[in-house]
Amino acid sequence: MDLQEKDSAGEITRLQRCINDLISLLALPAVWSVNEPKQIVHTLLDALLRMLKLDFVFARWEDPVAKASLELLRVADSCKLKLPPQDIGGMLSNWLERDRDVSRPPAPNRFEAEGISIFPVRLDVHGEIGMIVVGSERADFPNLTESLLLSVAANEASIGLREAKLLSEQKRIADELDQRVEQRTRELAERNEELKREIVERELMAERLRQEESRLTQSELHKSAILNAALDCVVAMNHEGRITEFNPAAERTLGYLRADVLGQRLVDLIVPPSLRQKHREGFGRYLATGESHVLGRRLEMTALCSDGREIPVEIAITRIPQDGPPAFTGYLRDITERKRNEDALHLAHAQILRSEERWRSVFENSAVGVALTDLNGRFIAANPVYQKMLGYTEEELQHLSFLDITQEEFVEPSRTLVTELLEGKRQQYQIEKAYRRKDGKTVWVRNNVSLVPGTELAARFLMALSEDITEHKLSEEALANARSELSKVARITSLGVLTASIAHEINQPLSGIVTNASTCLRMLSGDPPNLEGARETARRTIRDGNRASDVVTRLRTLYGRKDILPEAMDLNEAAREVISLSLTELQRNRVVLRADLAHNLPLIDGDRIQLQQVILNLLRNASDAMSTVDNRPRELLIRTQRDDGNQVRLTMRDAGIGFAPETAANLFDAFYTTKNDGMGIGLSVSRSIVEAHRGRLWAAPNDGPGATFSFTVPCATTSVSGFQPGQ
Amino acid sequence: MINRMGWVVETVATVAKRGLGESEMVDCPAVAVVDDDESVRESLPDLLKELGFTARAFSSAEEFLVSGCIDQIRCLILDITMPGMTGLELESRLRLQGHLTPIIFITSRGNESARPKALEHGAVECLFKPFSDTALLAALNLALQRN
Repeated sequence: MDLQEKDSAGEITRLQRCINDLISLLALPAVWSVNEPKQIVHTLLDALLRMLKLDFVFARWEDPVAKASLELLRVADSCKLKLPPQDIGGMLSNWLERDRDVSRPPAPNRFEAEGISIFPVRLDVHGEIGMIVVGSERADFPNLTESLLLSVAANEASIGLREAKLLSEQKRIADELDQRVEQRTRELAERNEELKREIVERELMAERLRQEESRLTQSELHKSAILNAALDCVVAMNHEGRITEFNPAAERTLGYLRADVLGQRLVDLIVPPSLRQKHREGFGRYLATGESHVLGRRLEMTALCSDGREIPVEIAITRIPQDGPPAFTGYLRDITERKRNEDALHLAHAQILRSEERWRSVFENSAVGVALTDLNGRFIAANPVYQKMLGYTEEELQHLSFLDITQEEFVEPSRTLVTELLEGKRQQYQIEKAYRRKDGKTVWVRNNVSLVPGTELAARFLMALSEDITEHKLSEEALANARSELSKVARITSLGVLTASIAHEINQPLSGIVTNASTCLRMLSGDPPNLEGARETARRTIRDGNRASDVVTRLRTLYGRKDILPEAMDLNEAAREVISLSLTELQRNRVVLRADLAHNLPLIDGDRIQLQQVILNLLRNASDAMSTVDNRPRELLIRTQRDDGNQVRLTMRDAGIGFAPETAANLFDAFYTTKNDGMGIGLSVSRSIVEAHRGRLWAAPNDGPGATFSFTVPCATTSVSGFQPGQ
Repeated sequence: MINRMGWVVETVATVAKRGLGESEMVDCPAVAVVDDDESVRESLPDLLKELGFTARAFSSAEEFLVSGCIDQIRCLILDITMPGMTGLELESRLRLQGHLTPIIFITSRGNESARPKALEHGAVECLFKPFSDTALLAALNLALQRN
């Protein structure tokens, strides 16, 4: 009973243990990582070695992860087999190699000799997955429980490994799929990028195309605008000579419509028939050889209009820079107007040239000097006569003003006259003046100066026609001198205006008389007396006495009335002669003389010389009376007029110092004078001359400054024979 | 008066003779007379000789200038008004050349205004023709004193 009970208890314990082992084995898959077949085999072998108290356990399997046939050996520490695990593995491996047919029962145990029982277990029905080989010292190994446990363990392991294989396969497939997806994704991304680039490029291209299109449109518009607005005719022609463009200016100028001429042959339309052959030849030559006489040049030729008119045109033809057969643009300009203007201009120019030549000829060959100056008087041009007259070249003159060469006393009057000319107060003026030549000599000229009005091209300028009157002046001066000499002599001998001369004439012989008499006395009172010397000096005394007597006689003659030679004479003319004789002297005294001589003054009967002496005397008196006047003009007026009672009157009005009314009665007394160097004879003599002519001489103070002297003489009688001035 | 004059004359004559040798007196006299009037040229040197001077007459300022006598003479009697160079011009010329010879001007122009002008020029005296021998002597005396 006890045994039975014991056996039963043992059996129960075995069963319990078996069940525990089974549970342990069945729980194994929970700790397996399906990803790791090596771990499955590892844990399985460890569990079997511990559970079945094996000496070793060996496994060989086709690892789905490593994709190789792997082997693993676990040897218990208590194992009697003292072989290195490599050798045990090698032997088991060889054993399994020899008995590949795992479907058959395992071959005889090779380790039996060693006292070890080995038992192969297939991991699946056909051992495709692998084999486990267990070894134990026990001879009964494996018993039923152990076999059961081994087969359960093998099943569990084969399921785990298969799952692992499946998983691995799935993973591989998944990886592959991933890779393929990734690859595809990458490819797609690349393609995407490519597409993007392509899109951008296309957009760029499209933009470029748009721009180009816009540019072309613009260019076309531009071209069209230019063509339409061009003042010149623009005609384009292709290589066949057919018109491809014809702008509005061309329509206007040539009279054809664009629509009508496009495609027509140019040569038949606008080239005049006479030029067509030449045009064709030239065009043909260009197409054949590229040689042209017209391309790129500006030419003048004739164009034919729609109405048959031929007009002169300026033409420039250029080749259009484009690929393909040559095409040309011609620019035409109607130059009819220009030609007309040119012709007119040529004509005008020729006329100007002729006029210029004529003027130049006059200028160059003129017998008088011609000089042109600007408004400041600076010389612009001077003809040869003018240059010769002044001794300067034209170039030298151009550095001078006419005032530079004008003598001092004429500068101010010249300036005044030019100013009046410029102010329009006079059209021209005449002046006689003296210039300084380059060699310092004086040249007298008579200048006729006028202002030449300005034109669009030239400013106003002064033109002087200058006549050299130096010789004339010199002879005039010589004449004046001679007259002056004469007049002086006349005055000295008759009027005694220069009373000092008279005194001189008398005092000279008187001096001789006194000196000789003194000498004579001294000679006589000498010891011994110089009788011869005394006689000589006495003779000289007599001679000088006679000389003095002569002088007195001459003076008496001045008052004598015997020499009057009456004749019908013109008082104006006599006055003019006196004026011209005195002009130089009056100018020197800065006297401004004004002559107001009556027209149709009747003739008088008189002694011309004596009456002139009276006029001269009055003139000199007037001039002398003004010699100290500086605060007013030294004006002197000579007037002649017909007076009441058939008389002619001459008046001399000065602006001099005048005379006090109370002295008027003494003025005509002999030896009455107010002058420092006067003798007081002039007026006395003058009055006697006038009275000898049955006239009257008187003086009156002016209302203003100065005095007026007048004399009258009767007009000429029909018979002059009865006239006896001396009576 | 006559005695007094005689003394003056004597003095002047002595001075003249002492100052000039006989040989020099021939060409260049002590007194030169320049006048365009012939009667003056004839009469005045004679009177001067009577007064004890050597004298020579010249018809113009120019003639006197070229004679070379200017440095030798002690007194110059000069007519103011002459054709050509006048007496006043000759006087100015001589002064400019540095000659201090005393000058007595004579003139026939009876014009008192000539006198101050002549004296202004530095003349010793200005005598109006006709003048007396005493006036001439007084002037000569003054001139030689100045000398």
